[in-house]
Amino acid sequence: MSQFATTSEDLPRSYPNLVAAYGFLPNLFRAQSDLPHAIEAEQRLIEVVVVRSGRLSREEKDAILFGVATVRGSDYCRALFEHSLPAVSHRNSALLDFSLKLAKHGPRVSGRDVASLQNCGFNDRAILEAIVTTGVALMLCTLADGLQPELDLELGLVVPGEPPDLPEPSDWPKASEAHLLLPYSTADSTALAVLREQFGFVPNLYRLQSAVPELLEPEVALLESVLFAESGLNRVQKECVLLAISAANLNTYCATLHSQVLSILGVPPEESDRIVANQSEDQRESGVSGVDQVLVEQCRKLASLPGLSNQWFERERLRSEGFTEPQIIEAIVVAGLANLLNTLQAGVGAVPDFPPRRVFGPKDLYRFPGDSRPISNATPSEDPDAALVARVQKGETDVFEELVRRHSRRVFGALAGLVGNLDDARDATQDVFLKAFENIGRFQGRSKFSTWLTSIAINTGTELLRQRKPSESLAEMEDDEGFRPRQVQRWEENPEQQCSASQMNRLVREAVLRLPEKYRVAVLLRDINQLSTEEAAAALELSIPALKARVLRGRLMLRESLAPHFIRQEKTDA
Amino acid sequence: MLSCADFLAEFGDYIDNVASPDLRAHLEEHLHECKTCRVIVDSTRKTIQIVTESGCFTLPAHAVDAIVSEVMARVHQKST
Repeated sequence: MSQFATTSEDLPRSYPNLVAAYGFLPNLFRAQSDLPHAIEAEQRLIEVVVVRSGRLSREEKDAILFGVATVRGSDYCRALFEHSLPAVSHRNSALLDFSLKLAKHGPRVSGRDVASLQNCGFNDRAILEAIVTTGVALMLCTLADGLQPELDLELGLVVPGEPPDLPEPSDWPKASEAHLLLPYSTADSTALAVLREQFGFVPNLYRLQSAVPELLEPEVALLESVLFAESGLNRVQKECVLLAISAANLNTYCATLHSQVLSILGVPPEESDRIVANQSEDQRESGVSGVDQVLVEQCRKLASLPGLSNQWFERERLRSEGFTEPQIIEAIVVAGLANLLNTLQAGVGAVPDFPPRRVFGPKDLYRFPGDSRPISNATPSEDPDAALVARVQKGETDVFEELVRRHSRRVFGALAGLVGNLDDARDATQDVFLKAFENIGRFQGRSKFSTWLTSIAINTGTELLRQRKPSESLAEMEDDEGFRPRQVQRWEENPEQQCSASQMNRLVREAVLRLPEKYRVAVLLRDINQLSTEEAAAALELSIPALKARVLRGRLMLRESLAPHFIRQEKTDA
Repeated sequence: MLSCADFLAEFGDYIDNVASPDLRAHLEEHLHECKTCRVIVDSTRKTIQIVTESGCFTLPAHAVDAIVSEVMARVHQKST
């Protein structure tokens, strides 16, 4: 919540360290002006972690920041970090490779990765600086993803970056193990006192950093401003966001810690388990309110692990649930904090403070059939659009036209089936391609481009539906869990001959539009857009069994709607 | 033998011709005995065919060019 009135002209004077760091006050921070304490805490963290030279120079840290923004596909942050990047980059290959692996494959960073850096001559203090810098980079990328600030005039035009070719790690760390051997500090400090007061103990994540108070203190100050302070979102809501993102990032330590805190706050462990398992759809069984489920569902999309990167945080969805602008901004800031903490833990390897209820492992990597799943034996050439996409990513804007031409029918078909109104579908089709163009830097080729595009279309169409008044749409069929076919009379042999093409078109159209949304989308993708089961599941971020169940239910509901027009009239059954 | 409820929960893969041989055998055993489920399978297949071939949400060919032009104009506007 806004603590004091600050005009936009005054803002730079309020945050001199940010102005010193970037030469101006970037829109990324102006966009948080409703949360001055959060900006102050971010300013302190950036000043200490990024600007001040420690074991690593500012140039080395800027190279990490820029590399992480490229991996994350954040064009805004690439422009921001490039702005301060020196002409001759101090790229230290081993250090940068470590940071990029941490940013992209956090849960698979192991003690062996840290030992490799130690063998290159980096001590634990320098490695900790690289870890915290990576965490700060991911936090800022999260803020940019959620807040979508306008590119500052001071920053140059951004050419979408080509994601670095990072090899998929083949192993998973065997057990939680501390990667760094910094001594625990026994000296008391304000930061440790705050942690003891809030948690009742000092979590291992912070104990491991206690020997470096200059890093620990701004981290704890951020916790105080964003998590502990009373504000627009309550602590349970914030902890739910932290838990959901930790689970999406497959971070056993942080998921365990936040489940424990939620338990202390009165949330039963089973509800935390449901958040971890991403069972947000079944709101009736969960004690977390529907509104908060929407908050969790949206914030989960801001997780740093790329599993959900084909879905975007939708501010409008939260507005429609009654969240205020300061609350939405706060949710984004909490999501940024979650990614920072997850990255710190994955880097330092803190051991869980409590027995974990769920230990994440390699089997969890591909829970979502979206772009996190490597296509088996995949090479970019297997996606017929891969070459064109790569050219657009390198800045050949005109090449995008061919992608629009190839896919406009498919995108339109999905949208028309979702929203019903063909004019709206045409407008939304344009919006989908524009969103795809703006975010093409984030597309990493782990799914087909067409699948990625379809998921954007579904999100766009769904949002459009939510903005509409219910009276404008056809009444949906009842979403009855106990649905059973009632029409069990035989159909005509050739039902398509029972009416004209235009009549058939109208019948099907109305029947499809009456389906409950979740079944409608599934049927549209499978039977009208002709996607494979795997592609449709990927586009909807569903498991394959869940997709199949929805398709079957949708088809049976359609059959029920169409049956009165096609049942055989004469009684000829023997 | 399967009940009708079990059959209706499982016949999605059968309709799509991707059921495992074991499942297919179980389902066909039920179908052999159950006229109601035979009607449901037949009419569901016809439903899929009707929906797939209806072309009810197809973008007319002439509209593709208009969309391409509009999108590229907005893309160029964004890029400059």
